[in-house]
Amino acid sequence: MADGELMSTFGGLVDDRVDDGVFRVDRSIYTDPGVFDVEMERLYERGWVYLCHESQVPETGCYFAAEIGLQPVVVTRQQDASLKTFINACSHRGAILTPLKQGKALVFTCRFHGWAYNCDGRCIRIKNEVEGFGEDGFDREQYNLTEIARTESYRGFVFGSLTDNVEPIADYLGAAATWIDLLVEQSPEGLEVVPGSSTYVIRGNWKMQMENAVDGYHVSTVHRVFAATVGNREQRDGSTGMAQTEGGRITGKVPSGAYDLGNGHMSIWATHTNPERRPIYRKKEWLEANFPPEHVDWILTRGRNLGVFPNVMIMDNPSTQIRVVRPIAADRAEVTVYCIAPIGEDRKVRAARLRKFEDFYLTAGMATSDDMAALEDTYAGAFGRAARWNDFNRGLNTMVNGPDEGAKALGFNPVSSSPSWENETLFFGFYRRWRDMMEVGS
Amino acid sequence: MEIDHDLKRDVAELIQWEATLLDRRRWADWIDLYTEDAVYWVPSWANEEETVSDPEAHLNLIYMRDRGGLEDRIFRIESRDSYASLPLDRTVHVVGNVLIEKVDGDEIAAFANCLIHSYGKKGGQTRASLYDFTLRRQADGTLRITRKKITFIDDRLEGPVDVYHL
Repeated sequence: MADGELMSTFGGLVDDRVDDGVFRVDRSIYTDPGVFDVEMERLYERGWVYLCHESQVPETGCYFAAEIGLQPVVVTRQQDASLKTFINACSHRGAILTPLKQGKALVFTCRFHGWAYNCDGRCIRIKNEVEGFGEDGFDREQYNLTEIARTESYRGFVFGSLTDNVEPIADYLGAAATWIDLLVEQSPEGLEVVPGSSTYVIRGNWKMQMENAVDGYHVSTVHRVFAATVGNREQRDGSTGMAQTEGGRITGKVPSGAYDLGNGHMSIWATHTNPERRPIYRKKEWLEANFPPEHVDWILTRGRNLGVFPNVMIMDNPSTQIRVVRPIAADRAEVTVYCIAPIGEDRKVRAARLRKFEDFYLTAGMATSDDMAALEDTYAGAFGRAARWNDFNRGLNTMVNGPDEGAKALGFNPVSSSPSWENETLFFGFYRRWRDMMEVGS
Repeated sequence: MEIDHDLKRDVAELIQWEATLLDRRRWADWIDLYTEDAVYWVPSWANEEETVSDPEAHLNLIYMRDRGGLEDRIFRIESRDSYASLPLDRTVHVVGNVLIEKVDGDEIAAFANCLIHSYGKKGGQTRASLYDFTLRRQADGTLRITRKKITFIDDRLEGPVDVYHL
């Protein structure tokens, strides 16, 4: 398609007429391979994309292999402790340079023809160079690794951009940065990714995973069985303290809310029914001594899910999680979940955090598995193209533009606020960002 | 080690029964094969070559400190309210390579391998597990499972995974 056609096509896929009470998206945005190809080019290759957490590259030479859209990249820790990100392909014939997903290598030696690169990307050795190129015939400088335009970290969360035409990461995160702060503030020693992870493949579209993480409306249906199961367990076992999990939040009986945070970022929160059951509650006094009361209130009493456009979710709800989505094709996305926790955390507290994580957040657990099944069904349903639209209208009547009282107290400035996490007005921001980036021609 | 053929038969019988009861969805009978204090552990992969080693400090796919965790799974399946469990995937477990590692009083450590074929809405897939069992001889002379560690070979999971897939 010519660019002119694309521009009109993508604009038409988001039916944004909020004044008329309409916000909906065409279901082909999930199913059309042509849309996917343009998303890779215009969303993923023209903006910030989450790569990894700094604790995954702790020392000089440590690397972490990630992707920006379909492009393989590798984040490396430099001699001066800064981070650089390179296209993860040998400059010679393109083999992936990292033998493992994560590791340590001061020199990357390509396992195909033996070309070698310093962790700063300089090509330092060509196998049998003189025999192949003569005494002075080869300019290694021309074959340094290709560094991506920007690598920046916000409080430990590392993002990369293939283009220089992006604002600083803190500005890009904007109101979402405050939500990251609420997690980081929980540990003076910093946060670390706990050993172990789980990767799963969604037979569906990557945007559905982003939607699911901040969709509070499904919780009281899809996770009703989770609440019933843990309720049954607690009755059976007489669980106490940190072993307990919450049912009230899931059945929708608690105060909650949702925010369109701007730049496509979204968040939801719901009050914990028994905040003292949560591992962080043991740090209440320390938090009160170090942070304003509004921060302490948000940290201790509100479960929070954040979606950062386009590819990462950061959650502090039953447990603490980084969830990264990697688009593969219109009909396929790979998702990896990590537990993130305070460095030096007490062993019992860490164990409680992990048990809650495993209960809920894995496709081998008792909630994410149900999310995945629901999500894959919405993908299958999206092929019913004679019924064209997915609606996101819920909550238009109660949405307020700008911050509500909670946002003002905490000091972040959302595009809109909603008094229930069951409302869908936060998705306006995601799909407006999507539309705006997709409409800019090449 | 001198092979105790009676013991080897009992161990293989128990491990094969477990697989059969899962495939036949005889959940209550399956649970009964476990002692009340049974540990059920499916470690996650720490990297491409090793699983995590400390379930109290590392992320696992499943870690249950007692049989109650398995009862939760059955409660969830039988509720018919779990999106991932309705319709329930069909499974066939084929257990092999059953070997006794060591005998220590009432407790027997045993290895087994398992190929698991499952079939659901998105089609069929075959995956594999390494099993590390600890079995305990009960007062009535029968063997029960008191620990099962499942090293699930597949690390990029397509579709939800529950106790009957492992």
